[in-house]
Amino acid sequence: MSRQYNPAVSAYKRMDLDSLPEEKITEGDMSKGLLSRANKSNKNNTGLDYSNPAVRVAKQMQVIRKYRDEINGSK
Amino acid sequence: MEVSNDISFDAPIPGQSLTAELGGRPWQQKTKYTTVDETIDYYMERMSSEEFMVQVADILESGVPVTTLANTIQMASVMDGIHSIDVGMLVLPMIMEMMMMIGDSAGIEYDKGLEDPSKSEIRDSLFAKLINKYEKKVKTADLESTSEEVVEDTEEEVEKPSGLMARRT
Repeated sequence: MSRQYNPAVSAYKRMDLDSLPEEKITEGDMSKGLLSRANKSNKNNTGLDYSNPAVRVAKQMQVIRKYRDEINGSK
Repeated sequence: MEVSNDISFDAPIPGQSLTAELGGRPWQQKTKYTTVDETIDYYMERMSSEEFMVQVADILESGVPVTTLANTIQMASVMDGIHSIDVGMLVLPMIMEMMMMIGDSAGIEYDKGLEDPSKSEIRDSLFAKLINKYEKKVKTADLESTSEEVVEDTEEEVEKPSGLMARRT
C-alpha cells in the first residue's frame, strides 16, 4: 500500500526527545519563598530556550513519552 | 501521460474556491487559539475525554496509522478555525505521542506510520545493476582454465522392494 506524503512523519522524527535534557529541581530553587525574585530569563539550568515553541512542545512530549514508557514497562 | 476519460463529479469546479465571500470560511477568520501553549491545552483537554479515547482506540485498531489520524485531526482543526496551520504543524508530534499513549494504554497493536513501506522493496535499477555485473563477469571469465570435469551423480537408485510382504525400513 502506498502512502501519500505526510508532514507528521518528518515532524515526529525531528523531535529528538532522547537528547533533550531533563529538568532537575535544585535545592536552591526549592528553598525560595513565594516573595523571592523569580528568574526572568527564558533559559533555565538545562540550557533550553523556552521562548522556542518547539522546545515547549518537546517538553510536553517528554512527559507523555515518560508515561508511555511506564505503561510499556520499558524504563 | 494517460488521461482518464472518466468524468469525476466529486471534483471541485474551477473557481469554486472563489464562490464564497472572502472571510466567509472559518479558516479565513482569526483563529481561536494563536499560541502553541493554548493549542496544546485545547488538544489535551479534548483528548483526555473518554469518548475521544474510545474513538481513537477503535480507529487505531482498525489499522489506520497514527500519522494519518493525527494529521487529519489537526487539519480539521485548521479548517474549523481553531488554530493556524503553522501551530498545527508544531503540535502535530504531541498529538501523535498522545495517540500512541492511548493505544498503549488500551493494549492495541497499532501502526505508527513512521516506516516507509517502499523502503523494503527492491528497486528495479538494483536488479539491472546486478544483471549487468553478472553479464560482465560471465564474458570475462576464462572458461577453458576453469573447466572441470563434472562428476555426475552416478549413484543409481536402489530399487526398493515394493511388494506387500516387503520389510518396512
